Amino acid sequence: MSRIVLRDLTKQFGELAVVDPLSLDIEAGQFVSIIGPSGCGKTTLVRVIAGLEPATGGEVEVDGAAPIEARTHKRVAMVPQQPGLLPWRTVRANARLLLDVNRSTNPVDAVAPETLLDEVGLGAFLDVFPHELSGGMQQRVALVRALALHAPLLVMDEPFAALDEITRAEMRVMLNRLVEGKGVTVLFVTHSITEAVALSDRVLVSSPRPTRLIADIAIDLDRPRSAEVEDDPRFVELCAEVRHALHRGMNA
Amino acid sequence: MNKRLLAPVVGILVFLGAWEVLVRAGHVRPFVLRAPSRIVRYLTQHPSGYASAAWVTIQHASIGTLIALLVALLFGSAMAASEFFEHAAQPVLTLLQVTPFVAYIASVVLWIGSGTKPALFIVALVCMPAFTFATVDGMRSADPATRELLASVDAARWEVLWRLRLPSALPSLFTTARYNVGLALIAAYLVEGGNFADEGLGSIGRRAASLNQGDALWSAIFAMALLGTISLVLLSLLQRVAMRWHVSQRRQLR
Ligand SMILES: Nc1ncnc2c1ncn2[C@@H]1O[C@H](COP(=O)(O)OP(=O)(O)O)[C@@H](O)[C@H]1O
Ligand SMILES: [Mg+2]
Repeated sequence: MSRIVLRDLTKQFGELAVVDPLSLDIEAGQFVSIIGPSGCGKTTLVRVIAGLEPATGGEVEVDGAAPIEARTHKRVAMVPQQPGLLPWRTVRANARLLLDVNRSTNPVDAVAPETLLDEVGLGAFLDVFPHELSGGMQQRVALVRALALHAPLLVMDEPFAALDEITRAEMRVMLNRLVEGKGVTVLFVTHSITEAVALSDRVLVSSPRPTRLIADIAIDLDRPRSAEVEDDPRFVELCAEVRHALHRGMNA
Repeated sequence: MNKRLLAPVVGILVFLGAWEVLVRAGHVRPFVLRAPSRIVRYLTQHPSGYASAAWVTIQHASIGTLIALLVALLFGSAMAASEFFEHAAQPVLTLLQVTPFVAYIASVVLWIGSGTKPALFIVALVCMPAFTFATVDGMRSADPATRELLASVDAARWEVLWRLRLPSALPSLFTTARYNVGLALIAAYLVEGGNFADEGLGSIGRRAASLNQGDALWSAIFAMALLGTISLVLLSLLQRVAMRWHVSQRRQLR
């Protein structure tokens, strides 16, 4: 549903090179993680792909068009690192936020946010204000807010980084359940190896700044995936492979 | 009666009691300070005059404040959006804020005429700068993560303003409103004393002062205090409804 192509993409902030010439082809419907050390340029890269930041050089295509095109047609749904919920909106209204703005381009076949909220276990909290929710619950609202847009591309920037380990494990399982079989393309930024392997079809390992691809690892674990996938010997192997690639990048 | 209502009532009764005792014990000459019991008696003997005057003053203060708020939202939005405009407007607003408006009331009356117009004009003028600064500060405090999120779906400028920036300014606007209530009432009172309209508590106060009518003067002062208190209570109620979601409205630990 949403193929992403990068051709010799570069990004600089003044003198600072954040993305070195990078070429990449992401198949529609794939779950792709980008893992790399802090400050290497992951956020910048996904902001360029989401049309929030212009590229310095090279080309970016989302569905065969410029990212800005995808953005103006609400074909990119973002989940930021901080939930960014509006404190004066209830859970229900927060989940609707992205549908409420720029309405003319809303999808016709969107699933009602209430249904999704119910699916992530927030059915009893529809009329509650964000400050009454735990961090994990707030991030689930942020996830529903993005999914409710029914966009072909989902961009998630370290969405679980601020959560505790137990909550993160739950969120991995929940996210898999929500996107599996929906045909949505997911670009997922993380610096957790477990998270990348458990969720992805493909893991891209980046070097420290400027972003260069150290490894491109296919994750051949079966779907649908449950929590048990993390006990699979193949899972452990793949985690080791990602870890080694990260080390290679750090020492390069 | 619940505790939240009881405490302020006790506070006011103690204050009035102390005032009464102080006056009766003869430490203060009656013209300098009337006892509250005497003021209340005078007010109840002349209810309609004070009620209609108070109504005029309320209108001057509240409509003036609303005009100030509207202008401030307009200026504030422009200042939050444009650095040049902000730097151009800031010194002018500060100038307005620090100039004693009492000094130019007569000039304004000469300029735009007597009656309601100068009252609304001056109330709006003195309340506007603080509201403008509050708007700018509040809009600046809008969560950058949410701003980016709205940008990711190409929200129009007015949508960001309406859905994010203006609500973000509510807390600072309410704080400023509490301070502006007093300012607006004082401005209305003083203009009414000099706008040749013979309307409003300010006009009663001015006449009573020049004719040495202590009862009438102190009743006007008392009525002003009452108006201020009622306005603040109404403002608190409004704030509780409009900002249910805000930290300041939650029960605090002590
Ligand atoms: N708007 C910007 N202007 C200047 N430098 C920036 C900007 N955004 C990010 N950077 C710099 O780019 C580098 C990569 O940042 P970022 O993409 O946030 O990394 P990551 O998400 O991998 O931690 C950092 O050194 C950061 O300081
Ligand atoms: Mg980042």
